[in-house]
Amino acid sequence: MSHLLVDAQQRRIDAVVVGRGKKAQLVDWAQLSGFGPDAVMVVDEGVLRPPADDRERAAAEGKLELVGKRALSEGGNELGELDDVTFDADSGVLEELLIGVRRVPAGSLLGSGSYAAILDQSQEPSP
Amino acid sequence: MRLLMTATQIRGLPVVTVRGGEDVAEVRDVIYSPGAGRLVGLTLNKRGFFAGRSRDVLSAEAIHAVGQHAVMVLDESSIVTPEDASDEVGHPATERNVLGDDVLTEGGSSLGKVADLVLLVGSSGEVVGYQIDKAGGGRGYIPLPAQLSVSGDALVVPNITEEFVQDDLVGLGASVDEFRARLGLS
Repeated sequence: MSHLLVDAQQRRIDAVVVGRGKKAQLVDWAQLSGFGPDAVMVVDEGVLRPPADDRERAAAEGKLELVGKRALSEGGNELGELDDVTFDADSGVLEELLIGVRRVPAGSLLGSGSYAAILDQSQEPSP
Repeated sequence: MRLLMTATQIRGLPVVTVRGGEDVAEVRDVIYSPGAGRLVGLTLNKRGFFAGRSRDVLSAEAIHAVGQHAVMVLDESSIVTPEDASDEVGHPATERNVLGDDVLTEGGSSLGKVADLVLLVGSSGEVVGYQIDKAGGGRGYIPLPAQLSVSGDALVVPNITEEFVQDDLVGLGASVDEFRARLGLS
């Protein structure tokens, strides 16, 4: 497994990207039979599929990886780097985003793309 | 206390979509209306592999927020061709440029010449002050009323502006509200 493809609006993991580059394939979250600390389990290889659109191709290239992404407020101010995310292993729903020592509820995530993850105004430090 | 930045600091900032997290353009320059006391739009450059001058523009109404690190728009549809923008954004009048213009009080004192615009961070382009090259030498910052009279190449400000000339942006940020309260504007 190399990347998670996140639907920022729904705040959930859509799919897992397996492999890199042109050989990268995706597994939809609903098709996973298990998600553990050491491995992601699938019933059989048949659930692996190639990227279906531009967004999925960008994810396969690693451009949409949330972890390590610049975090920006919707006000256009940098909040730091998104160090990690926590999520419900059953549903794929995001729970928290870790930015340095801050734990931000995933409900603050407004959007995510190749440039930045965008968080709502409640995460803006006061001047 | 207000967080402020100059127009010079906005140039070169990425334009980023809130919903997509993509950097869809870069600010080339600001289009300013002294009468309205605000930016009316931004001209843009392209980002990335095709970097360079873009024809497209961004109207102030389509700006979600101007921040210290990015200009935010909701999505890519906020960026339009000059033909699809209002005339003041698509085809701005060249005499709109206020840099170098004299700042005069209503009483006829010259405070200096406009060196830069000062904007409210987090707004969609409200201009709350000018950086000026002071008549007596050195740089200073003055707060502005919400709207401004323009007379030829001179910008006419209320007499009390003279009392509010500040040495830095932080000082200006602290004085804008008091200045406007004294004018009965807030």
